[in-house]
Amino acid sequence: MVDPILLIAIPLGAAFFLGLLRDEWRTSAYVITLLTLAFVSWVSSSWLLGFSLDKIAPVEILTAGSEPPFSINLRMGLNESVALLMISLTGLLSSIYLKDTLFRLGRRAMAVLLVFVMAMCGIVLTRDIFNLFVFIELTVIATAGLVLLSHNTLSLGAGFKYLVASQIASILLLVGIIFSYHVTGTLNIDGMAGMSNVLIQTSPLAFFLLFIALVIELKPFPANGWALDIYESAHPAFSAILSAATATASLFAVDKILNIGGDNWLPFATGIGILSFIGANLFALAQTHDRRLMGYSSVGQIGLILIIIGQRDILGENYFFIAGGVLLAHAVAKAGLFWMSGLVNARELSAWTALRKRPMLIFAFVSFIALLIGLPPFPGFYAKWELVHVLASEGRIALIVLILFGALLETAYLFRWFGLILRHEDEAPVVACPSQKVAVIYSAVLLGWGLGYIWGELSGFGNLLYTIPLLFALLFLPLEWLPAKLKNTFAIMGLVTWFIVQYPAYDPLQLIFAAIILPGGALVLLASYYNSGRRIGFYPSALWMFAGLSMLIMAEDSFAFFAAWESLTIGSYFLILRGKQSQPHALSYILFSLGGAFLMLLGFALASEGNPLFPLTSLASVASDLAPWVFILLAIAFMTKTAAIGVHIWLPGAHAEAETDVSPLLSGILLKAGLFGLFVLLINMGKQQLYGVELTHVLLWIGAISALLGNMMAIYQEDAKRLLAYSSIAQMGYALFGLALMNHLGWLMALMFVVNHYIYKSMLFLSIGGVAKRTGTKAMYRMGGLITLMPLSFIAVLIGIIAVSGVPPLSGFGGRWIFYNAIMSAEYRLPMVIIFLAGPIAFLYLFRLIHTVFLGQLKDEHRQLKEAPFWIILPQMIYVAFLMIFALAPGLALQKVDGYISRFFPNNGLNWEGLTITSDFGYWSPVSIMIIIGVIFVTLFSWLLFVNRRAQKVKQFNIVYAAERPYRPETTHFAWNFFAPYRKALGFMTQPLVTRFWDTVAELLHTAADLLRRLYTGDGQTYAVQLLAFVVAVYFLGNGVM
Amino acid sequence: MEYIALTCGFLLILIGIYGALTQSNILRMIVAFTLANTGVNLVIVGIGYINGRTAPILDTAVPVAEAATRIIDPLPQALVLTAIVIGVGITALMLAYAYKLFTLKGSLDITAIKELKW
Repeated sequence: MVDPILLIAIPLGAAFFLGLLRDEWRTSAYVITLLTLAFVSWVSSSWLLGFSLDKIAPVEILTAGSEPPFSINLRMGLNESVALLMISLTGLLSSIYLKDTLFRLGRRAMAVLLVFVMAMCGIVLTRDIFNLFVFIELTVIATAGLVLLSHNTLSLGAGFKYLVASQIASILLLVGIIFSYHVTGTLNIDGMAGMSNVLIQTSPLAFFLLFIALVIELKPFPANGWALDIYESAHPAFSAILSAATATASLFAVDKILNIGGDNWLPFATGIGILSFIGANLFALAQTHDRRLMGYSSVGQIGLILIIIGQRDILGENYFFIAGGVLLAHAVAKAGLFWMSGLVNARELSAWTALRKRPMLIFAFVSFIALLIGLPPFPGFYAKWELVHVLASEGRIALIVLILFGALLETAYLFRWFGLILRHEDEAPVVACPSQKVAVIYSAVLLGWGLGYIWGELSGFGNLLYTIPLLFALLFLPLEWLPAKLKNTFAIMGLVTWFIVQYPAYDPLQLIFAAIILPGGALVLLASYYNSGRRIGFYPSALWMFAGLSMLIMAEDSFAFFAAWESLTIGSYFLILRGKQSQPHALSYILFSLGGAFLMLLGFALASEGNPLFPLTSLASVASDLAPWVFILLAIAFMTKTAAIGVHIWLPGAHAEAETDVSPLLSGILLKAGLFGLFVLLINMGKQQLYGVELTHVLLWIGAISALLGNMMAIYQEDAKRLLAYSSIAQMGYALFGLALMNHLGWLMALMFVVNHYIYKSMLFLSIGGVAKRTGTKAMYRMGGLITLMPLSFIAVLIGIIAVSGVPPLSGFGGRWIFYNAIMSAEYRLPMVIIFLAGPIAFLYLFRLIHTVFLGQLKDEHRQLKEAPFWIILPQMIYVAFLMIFALAPGLALQKVDGYISRFFPNNGLNWEGLTITSDFGYWSPVSIMIIIGVIFVTLFSWLLFVNRRAQKVKQFNIVYAAERPYRPETTHFAWNFFAPYRKALGFMTQPLVTRFWDTVAELLHTAADLLRRLYTGDGQTYAVQLLAFVVAVYFLGNGVM
Repeated sequence: MEYIALTCGFLLILIGIYGALTQSNILRMIVAFTLANTGVNLVIVGIGYINGRTAPILDTAVPVAEAATRIIDPLPQALVLTAIVIGVGITALMLAYAYKLFTLKGSLDITAIKELKW
């Protein structure tokens, strides 16, 4: 192994050597710089390999030939080597990125860069407190020196403010050091730690000064205006080093120094960390400047790590796994984002839309924000899981809630930013991408995924990057250059194959869901054959969602379940975002979903009492004081996915604005994930009571109200796809209602809804999507009379609405029949009335759908329309066949499930003998119903044909343009505001109260952020005053702890 | 004796910080910081001083054998040297900033540097 002292000696020597070179020899100077940084990286990585693979022991490096405390000593261990590698790689990659700038600035800049990296390595390695001070000052000088080299007034101002703040920090640090030395008689950190008791008892202020000075180097919120200015104005490659490497080094310093203070000082770190994490993320909400936003985000992330440092007394051996996961993920992601910002010319967030035409860069961006938020399969995900479990087992619930809230804020602005990039509105200028810069960014992406792999290996929960469905989805990334049709074939084959492979492992419940997800998904994907070109981004996202879904139903422990849940959420988010107008809806989708996921995380953590691999079946044996809370958390999480009323506002936009073949995936398949979760929850936890309230009863009410209001809102929609979307809210309400009945037939009915809703909603979305594709509009009043032009679409919609409305003879009736039987055996009267009421309302919108789109009069501009494309029609016809079969022989799917449900509710099962199905209250004979309805239909239809033979056709202009030209022509159309009388009577029930509530929440947060960020006045002296005030405040607030 | 040094040191630190926070001229701020730094150095040396002892120079006056009981703590003095060097470095850097800011903006007023905020 190479002596670690060289990590300091070689860069320092090289920096001096650069000073001796002639100014013109820029290439040689640059080569020396790169070689030095490569050497440092190589040494660090060789140590890292030695520690991790050969398990060598940490090494103490003595200087000046004597033992500490008589000389400075360095320590190289596993953690040090990781941090050093992080720092040196950031330096190396940044200097590759900075090639042109460094050539322009010359050898002096390169020398300062080398000193910068050397100083950060020193901070990590040294075990001497004064030496630490020297290295910190060197970092400050190098930082300010590099900023000074720019000829930009903005960054000069920022650099000076930074120096002012650092001066104050260094005064505090020096005073702290000398008094600590005075008390302990040593400068060695470990020596001081050995005398911790003496130091803290005689002079807590001395240690406080040491500690707070190092904390200030972390740029804690709100004493960090100077740092934000640097982030905003410096060269992005430099900000990358500042955010990734300097933060790593400073965190290392704080971690070391806390050894001296002992566990009593950890609450300081926690408190400052929480303030930074939430405050900075809140302020970031109001940012439009990309680099300042990243600065805020860095401050927030460092706050998070500070929180983790504050928990190290309870994290035990997981401490480095958790802290390291978050730290490295943040370093890679933030460095990558800063490097990317160098490619974008303007500084508004919206300017990033310039990247839209570069799928690889989009992928890089996605990887970076997923790293930051801690989505699977990245290190933060494993770390977050472990952290929350430990905190829950120690009862630090409030801390979990604060952390998750901060994380949600971060999700909001990062995903909003991503949405802006993919915005379809304006034509994006194409960015120039110098190859060395792009290569640097891609290496950060590789590093990020590599870290994900390593953390998966270390986690002990199973590496997500080994799961076949996720790998299959990733496989589509390198295949993106292939034509969409070919990829579609692969995708369909993949889904079907996975179903066949897994088939023997499914129990009847899983089988129902798997059938909908895998072959069901393949069926919807048939419609995707319609798309030409490459359709970049569709397949990785869709298959990521399918991977999540198929893992979800097979999950046995909480970790697998949660990982699957987050995967399907992310995949579906990218699918939703593909719609042209989808950006705001996709954002609210991901916020609700991740919010729900965080509740689930908390729920599982509470339930498991610290066991990160908690079997789902153990939900049954959760301690009785916790059980109702776990139930509530999980139920809300699942209901965000089924879009129960209250958390439904994301659904209409997301489903309606999605692409034609995406809407059925979302509505028909994705919604079922929530139902599956509810099944798992109810199977394992059953009925729960909180303060005497039966929680399943609450669910029943939510289901009933969702059904009623969903239907109510659906009838007033002008947009056909929105109508269908609202109808889904109602349908999921029915399913929730059935589940919450907690009896045999209720569950059977919920399962029947799972199947039915998949079939008819996929079909309806496809046919309406097909119509919308042809007519170019989704507004129903712009359509009409399409029956003759698009007969197949008409048939699909007709069959679909018969099935939805639950009239005989189709399977919807079967659902209703089971449903009525179920309610009869339950004793809830009022919600029952509500749900009955919802039924007829569904007729209204379904009638409107078929009447205004296919019947009535044809629009002039639609006279040349053709039937929807073949590939969109094909799955619809298959669905029609399914519905017929399912209507005639519902037992095919349901009999087995009925038997399965008997395990939980042995009574009130159905009797499936012969062609009739018998319950306690009556019987249902699908075949005879079909025959009777058929006869009635044929009779009436022939009668209609007979009386209609001499009817005269009235053209639409006869009525519309009777007098003057109307101001808004659509208002005269009969399909416009179709149910106006009902709206007058019942419209109050569909006031967008929930939407208004969530809008107000968002607005309040934004206003607060916008107002409070004015704290950063821009004045260097004000910043210094804030800094001192922060120090004093922490001192007095922490007085009780000391 | 050491109390005078310590008191003076802390006074200088306070005066320095007060000056740095109230003077809007960048050069005056820099001078204020040098004052504060001097104060810190005084404190460091003052901490190392032990009443009634002599300078830590080992020669005929102080033989090695008696050193431990007769000299003051030499370490703070060594530290002060480093601290002074670093202080000089930072002061130089701040002066360079002042020069550059003045050439670019024509002003040394810190309150005028507010383009970056929020």
